[in-house]
Amino acid sequence: MYRHDGEDVFVIDNHIHLWDASEENVIHEGGEQFIQCFYDYHTGFTPEDRQWDLETYRDYGPDKLMNDVFRDGYVDMGIFQPTYLSEFYEDGFNTTEDNAELAEKYPERFVLNGSFDPRDGEEGLEYLRELKERYDIPGVKLYTAEWKGDSKGWRLDSEESFEFLQECVNLGITNINAHKGPTIRPLNRDAFDVADVDDAATSFPELNFIVNHVGMPRLDDFTWIAAQEPNVYGGLAVVAPLALSRPRKFGEIIGELLFWLGEDRILYGSDYGLWEPEWVIEAVMDLELTDEQEKEYGMEFDLEKKRKIMGENAAELYGIDIEEKKRQFEFDEVSERFDLGEAYTSEAAAD
Amino acid sequence: MAQSQLAAERDAAERPPVDRKAVLDRLDRVDDPELDRSIVELEYVDAIEINAGDTSRMDGDGSDAGESNAEGSKVFVRFKLPTAWCSPTFAWMMATGIRDETEELPGVSRATVELIDHMHATEINDGVNAREPFEEAFEDATEGIEETRRSLDRKARLARQYRAVEALLDVGMRPEQIVSLSPADVGLADLLAEGRDVEADIGESSDSDDEAGDRDEAHVTIPVDGGALYVQVPREPIAVYVTKAIDTDLLASPDDVLFATPDGEAISVEDFDLVHHRARAANVNQIGQGGVCASLHEARYGLSVDEPAD
Repeated sequence: MYRHDGEDVFVIDNHIHLWDASEENVIHEGGEQFIQCFYDYHTGFTPEDRQWDLETYRDYGPDKLMNDVFRDGYVDMGIFQPTYLSEFYEDGFNTTEDNAELAEKYPERFVLNGSFDPRDGEEGLEYLRELKERYDIPGVKLYTAEWKGDSKGWRLDSEESFEFLQECVNLGITNINAHKGPTIRPLNRDAFDVADVDDAATSFPELNFIVNHVGMPRLDDFTWIAAQEPNVYGGLAVVAPLALSRPRKFGEIIGELLFWLGEDRILYGSDYGLWEPEWVIEAVMDLELTDEQEKEYGMEFDLEKKRKIMGENAAELYGIDIEEKKRQFEFDEVSERFDLGEAYTSEAAAD
Repeated sequence: MAQSQLAAERDAAERPPVDRKAVLDRLDRVDDPELDRSIVELEYVDAIEINAGDTSRMDGDGSDAGESNAEGSKVFVRFKLPTAWCSPTFAWMMATGIRDETEELPGVSRATVELIDHMHATEINDGVNAREPFEEAFEDATEGIEETRRSLDRKARLARQYRAVEALLDVGMRPEQIVSLSPADVGLADLLAEGRDVEADIGESSDSDDEAGDRDEAHVTIPVDGGALYVQVPREPIAVYVTKAIDTDLLASPDDVLFATPDGEAISVEDFDLVHHRARAANVNQIGQGGVCASLHEARYGLSVDEPAD
């Protein structure tokens, strides 16, 4: 729980991973480049005294995740977003099964999403049904730029993709998280194209499309699409760390998002382990728009908006009852392990 | 023979010497197509070597055998990008831009380019130096490089439009006045005469009070309300915009409508705010992504680049 000027802010981190990029797991040059690229992002944005060494970064493991996210990182609940990259990593980079290790141990603290790849055809549909059956996944994380065989990516608005999205509707998997941001391919289309979200969102109004990284560097395309599609949301992963190193730019980006999408359709995410949530959350919570920005966007980035972005919007999407969670977290295993119960008690007492 | 040799020597004598600065100045015209900023400013250029006679760094396929050294210098340019994952399409545009701009310099016969630390360095270096088309270097390419370039240029135009229109709003111009402006109205019809790829060196010279005397080069004067009034606006944001509008084929004649929607249509007064907000988003995107790239570049190479505001 984050405390801001004496007020509690319930944090649901919409974007966390438990990945394995250990050298033994890398089986393709792309896998090595991928983690190196992540590490550049890590060192590029993390304050120097909070940076990890590359070895730790490759494979931090579940204990470190629990410490960084829950003990030190203010996070109350985390949403796993799997990224398979099976062509690059022997056992996958960050699979649903990897994430399930913690999600099954602390089900009250985690939301476990699955994934699909429409290029897997019938087998892929079967796997999706299996994930639903086994983990009751409420959503999927999709990585449209993933390589597979000769293919260097796929589109959300393809016929095959629609088949999978329809299966999501049938199975009650409602939250479609699309990675639209820093990526590897597709090669010749502008690699960050968000246009395919538009059609998919129109065709499946019963699904929610959360565009991670808010389409950066195609923020303008994203905001334009999202302004017209009420079931499109923006995830702040990768953008949030700018709040510390480039607060003015972050202010402009958040201003655009608030302007086009409104305060109910923006979700905070740390992208852990890209960055530790602690300093990212502090930076976002401390951020205020400049006078000029407040004038331009006609609003303040106030506590009410921050509360929604930090947790309430995700709670709405995933059907989480925050008040009930607070009562539960007074005494759950994680609170006991890290001595966090009091944070939830004090809130109860204050009410 | 003797005659042509003489001619070559005379040409050589007339050419300015090719030096590092000349190359760098020329490379300033090559931009990162996504950030709409010069690769020189962004510190992407890693090394420049000028070897009039020595071809050892050049592609050793003997392709220029038969050409005389008197033809000019051979120039080698090495560059690097903020991440190994930077779109190969963008990297290709920059590599070919470096090659072609360098070869435009008088006194340069051939340029060789090397991109380092990139996922697709080999394909890009081999393809660009062998002068292959993009589609040949990347066989799985499904969309031409030109189309991608055009779509990035349209974005860049829109971001520049935001800054130009802001300058006009700042001096009190109203939407209905702004949407009907033409290049002639803003006193920049001359840029059209120079055609595509006109250099927007704009702004830099304009602050100095050289021989122009009373003429204020830092501003343009715009007639409003049928010429009943005039307003003065900083020239730089308007001229920078006009060059990109020419590049994207939006402007061809002095009487064309200056500003446009993202799709290149004229802006109605009712849509002015909406279009301006979309242009603002394009500007924020560009500046925001610039911040991301700068952070990566800094982490990777320890270089810090000046950024607008922050």
